[in-house]
Amino acid sequence: MTSPSAQATALVGEAGPALARTAKELNDLSILIGGQGGDGTLTVSDLLGRYFRKTGLYVYTSRNVLSRIRGGHADASIRASREPTAAAKPEVDLLLAFDREAVDYGRPDLAQDGMILFDSSVFQLEESDAIGFPFATLVGSQVGQPIYKNTAAYGAISILMGFDPEKTRAVIEDRFRRRSAEALEKNLKALDIGRKEALSHPDVPNRWRVVQGDATEQILTTGNQAVALGFVVGGGRFFAGYPITPATEIMEYLMRYLPPFHGVVRQAEDELAAVNMVIGAGYAGARAMTSTSGPGLSLMTEGIGHAATAEVPIVVADCQRVGPSTGEPTRHEQSDLAHLAHLGHGDFPKFILAPGTVADCFDITVDALNLADKWRVPVLLLLDQALCQNTVTGTPFSLEGVHIDHGKLLNREELEALEVYKYYAFTPDGISPHVPPGTPGVFSQVTGNEHDEFGHVSVNPVNRVKMMRKRMDKLSYAKSDLPLPRVYGEPGAKLGFIGYGSTWGPIREAQENLARRGVPSRFYQARTLFPVQTETLSPFLDSVDQAFVVEHNYSAQHAHLIQEFLPQYHDKLRSILKYDGSSLRASEIIARVEGR
Amino acid sequence: MVESVKSHASTWCPGCGDFGVLAAVKKAAQEVGIPPNEEVLVGGIGCSGGIHNFIDVNGIHALHGRLLAQAIGIKLANPKLTVIAAGGDGDGYAIGMGHFMHAFKKNASILYIVMMNETYGLTKGQAAPTAPIGYEGNVEPPFDAMLTALSIPAHNFIARTFSGDPRTMTATLVEALKFTRGNQGYAFVEDLSPCVTYNDTFKDWRQRVVDVSKLEGYDASNRHTMFRLCLETMHSGKIPIGVMHRPKTPNGDAQALELKLLPDLIGPANADIDLELNREAYTKLLRSVG
Repeated sequence: MTSPSAQATALVGEAGPALARTAKELNDLSILIGGQGGDGTLTVSDLLGRYFRKTGLYVYTSRNVLSRIRGGHADASIRASREPTAAAKPEVDLLLAFDREAVDYGRPDLAQDGMILFDSSVFQLEESDAIGFPFATLVGSQVGQPIYKNTAAYGAISILMGFDPEKTRAVIEDRFRRRSAEALEKNLKALDIGRKEALSHPDVPNRWRVVQGDATEQILTTGNQAVALGFVVGGGRFFAGYPITPATEIMEYLMRYLPPFHGVVRQAEDELAAVNMVIGAGYAGARAMTSTSGPGLSLMTEGIGHAATAEVPIVVADCQRVGPSTGEPTRHEQSDLAHLAHLGHGDFPKFILAPGTVADCFDITVDALNLADKWRVPVLLLLDQALCQNTVTGTPFSLEGVHIDHGKLLNREELEALEVYKYYAFTPDGISPHVPPGTPGVFSQVTGNEHDEFGHVSVNPVNRVKMMRKRMDKLSYAKSDLPLPRVYGEPGAKLGFIGYGSTWGPIREAQENLARRGVPSRFYQARTLFPVQTETLSPFLDSVDQAFVVEHNYSAQHAHLIQEFLPQYHDKLRSILKYDGSSLRASEIIARVEGR
Repeated sequence: MVESVKSHASTWCPGCGDFGVLAAVKKAAQEVGIPPNEEVLVGGIGCSGGIHNFIDVNGIHALHGRLLAQAIGIKLANPKLTVIAAGGDGDGYAIGMGHFMHAFKKNASILYIVMMNETYGLTKGQAAPTAPIGYEGNVEPPFDAMLTALSIPAHNFIARTFSGDPRTMTATLVEALKFTRGNQGYAFVEDLSPCVTYNDTFKDWRQRVVDVSKLEGYDASNRHTMFRLCLETMHSGKIPIGVMHRPKTPNGDAQALELKLLPDLIGPANADIDLELNREAYTKLLRSVG
């Protein structure tokens, strides 16, 4: 390094502490960072995530922020492990507290041999497992602005956990180099301050040692980013949305990704406009999607019914959060399923697809576009806050498996071979061959009113029955086209789990922990929620003695939906419910299974 | 020639003002030379919203109040289409008010025709947002679309016509369609189109309409002037009609939404989404994720 800033912030204490210590090795660790919004908790989490990835570990981060720009309690948690993971660790090894509230909030989850690192310039803590450094004061006096205390704390953690000093520093350079020379210099200074403080404390250096991992080819991403990428490669070219947590990032990513592909992203004036712009674009022949959360979905409901009846393909992604009403905008829940499964006024078909992992988000978004285009049915992507926003390491996305299916889109020869073109022609599978408006030689009339094959408004009772069946029968005909479940675990196991969305992570972890205790289990990961996949659910339920339906809501919505179509399994179904706004941990699932 | 959907006879009451709009839309489209298969008519909900069934063009019948959102979605998906949204004043100014305001701002090159009759005819004569005080117990002052449209500073064409004067209406629609087909921006035309069954105002309106272009100081490029002329006309108990706003800046300013987003006017619906064609660009995009 030759820059002046590098000289001013030369690394200290490469040799480590004078006191010899046997560091405890961590191959699965969890750090919770708490403070006031604006304290930079997310920055610390980001820096740690970057470091752990450099060492080849799998990373899973989640955040808990209030719906305000600054202030209020905010925390971020990060888990790093040698094995892939998609859930928060049941216990916290290190709690970094920028205020006392963070201690109150985080202590219940602290592991028995865990510790608290706190900013002693803000508050005092006289407890044996807590060590304080005056991060804000030190950084304020030496760097000029106390806001860099988060980087100082990262520096202290790097000593505590025996990080490699070069990699520790490289993380800061990666993150701040592009911002400005000044930001980089100040952060490097703050890093140095944190490291020096930690080195001077007898109980801190090399208390833990983080193992190396082999996850070097992994990317760190979120469900929202995966949905946006899947949309692009699946041929999605029109997106309209209205900002709403936790769905907004899908729109923001697409604002970056779509323009080079003649794609359009519009921020609409409300969700009513968003879904109707998408209907207009879908009618005109573009693959179109909107994304929202519960409140927006309520507003879009009329439009979804309209699209189904008019047979215009649309995709709607619902990133569930705590409801009803404004609920808890930033917090996790899975409580929109009952609404979606019984959506809107009148009867109309829709497919509800539910990816369970980030990779699944990518694949199923492509599926959603193909299915909407082919079946002329609205496709709902049911996501949840944890899946949408928590970051997780995963295999890089690839185009393998991606395909484009236009269904019965007519080419010129096929169109000209027809005697008569009818947008709503009756066919054995309910799909009418079609062309977009603007195609020379033919017109179409498209409407949400009941209509005849030509699209003329009709109240003829015979036509009404035929048209209802044409639309509703698609639910049966399409079944074999819809994403299949994934079943994990041991074939003969009598203990079953059923779940969708982000419950995949904690359920898989619970399964592994149970297996180590000699309790085998099977897990049915539902990837199509509607129409209910009775063909695969029945044999699964036959094979187990009891099945715990794991979901984040008060009223057991998924369990009830299954029972609606498979009432004979009523006695086998149990529920594991959580609706406090946070994601389930494997330990909670195990406790419920064991009747605790 | 493949046979496809044909228009059918209108369902309107004999003498309805909407017949004037139907005739003018047909004539104007012909005069401008729009290939019928490139024309999309987006209908609202209400008597007037059925208009797309009565012309041999492509039609989509939108949800109540949402025709502008659908029309803008169509235009952005395929900017080569000539998109005309047409509906009533209840559809546009009550349930659809949010989209009504934002359409001026968005400025996609579509034409929106509101057939204004102060009443909800299809549900048997309730007061529309434009109804005068006293109509069917209405106690709220009427909404005026021209004053509202003039208040939003965007590159729009704004006019009011009267079904009792079909020649002017056709000429106005011709100008509006040329404006949108030239990708100059959004055109809004409110037509005074009486409901002969629930609010027959033909005679009254014929006496009260005042062509603003005949007024002293008329300048359709000056919103301030036009706002004043409209208000003064209304205060004297008359109804201002005519072109209310005609932007001074010529074509080519790229003010229209589709030009801002899709400068070469190749829209998503025309873009090739074939995987092989895009493989290289997709791979690059996926590799950028970290």
